[in-house]
Amino acid sequence: MERARVLIAGLTVSLVVTIGLMAATAGTSPAPRPFGRPVGPAVPMDTGAGELLLAVVGGVYETRAEAEEANAAKPFGDVQGYYVVPVAQFQGFEQGAGEPGDFALVSVFRTEEGAQAFVELAAGFGYTATILPERVRSLGGLYAGLGQEENPDGSGPLMAPVAESLP
Amino acid sequence: MRKGPRTPHRLRWLAFGSLAVAIVPLIVAFHWSRLGWQDEHLNYPSPASGYTQIVNRFGQPCSADAHQISMKWRAADNGVTYSFSFHKKLGGKPTAMVSDKGGRSTLLDNDVYGHIQNQHLQPYVEHGIYGYACRAKRGSNNWSTHAFGIAIDVSSAEEYMGKCTSTVNVNHAQIWKSHGFHWGLSFCDPMHFQYATDY
Repeated sequence: MERARVLIAGLTVSLVVTIGLMAATAGTSPAPRPFGRPVGPAVPMDTGAGELLLAVVGGVYETRAEAEEANAAKPFGDVQGYYVVPVAQFQGFEQGAGEPGDFALVSVFRTEEGAQAFVELAAGFGYTATILPERVRSLGGLYAGLGQEENPDGSGPLMAPVAESLP
Repeated sequence: MRKGPRTPHRLRWLAFGSLAVAIVPLIVAFHWSRLGWQDEHLNYPSPASGYTQIVNRFGQPCSADAHQISMKWRAADNGVTYSFSFHKKLGGKPTAMVSDKGGRSTLLDNDVYGHIQNQHLQPYVEHGIYGYACRAKRGSNNWSTHAFGIAIDVSSAEEYMGKCTSTVNVNHAQIWKSHGFHWGLSFCDPMHFQYATDY
């Protein structure tokens, strides 16, 4: 009888201690990620429709085939360089660079720093790259590289409009 | 006149060999010390495997950390000096050869670069040397390891993407690999050395 009592008491104490430990550890919230929430391995295919963007142009061609051929001849090592898009998907693109119906090698940015970094990258490969003097309004359409620039706060890629890109 | 026992031929070679074994490291050490370089091997991060580990270890793509450290490297074939940047965990720690750039380790700018110079493999570093770039992989929507500042392209014109053999970088690839880099030759990108696998 005495043995059974001791056994029950031991089990009860063990149970209480276990529950206590579980409660203590479960109550602690996980440490925050040091780098914030991951943005995901894929670059969001944001066209920035309606935004005023800086366009870096590598050439304008009359047909898509010509533009694709020119783009294939301008590899940026193993990273993506220009995107082939119809000029017509940007309002204000005519600034001396193409007419509706043409196709252009383009990468678009929200910040001057992002556009300038791309120009330097292109120059490193020996390619000319021109930042259009005025921002162009994106009408949507094909993805043209938006989001591949640094957020000015240094936290990661810039995924949202900034004051200068808002109409 | 009494002749002493003749030294066996083999024993003489053994003595000569021992002497060589003792002297060669001294000569190599002297050579290195004259250049002021040694492999410090300080604070290397563990190479990451897969996207989640890359982010947990090196942060988001295109972050300020991803391009905090920069270095210059002269291409042997055309004489152009390339300046490129990379993640602060992959270099920038002060050594006899590298000034203090605020980095965490000696991996790239002291150790890998130093090995290539000291083993006289610089002639196999050809034009097209790149590091950090906030871009996606070519022909893909996924972030490139260059966007995390953990990839370096060397001899990119000769060792272009899509080539499944190596003619130049093969001469120093072992140095990169022994310092934790994964060589892109395995996915037909022989210019590319990245500090991560499975991505």
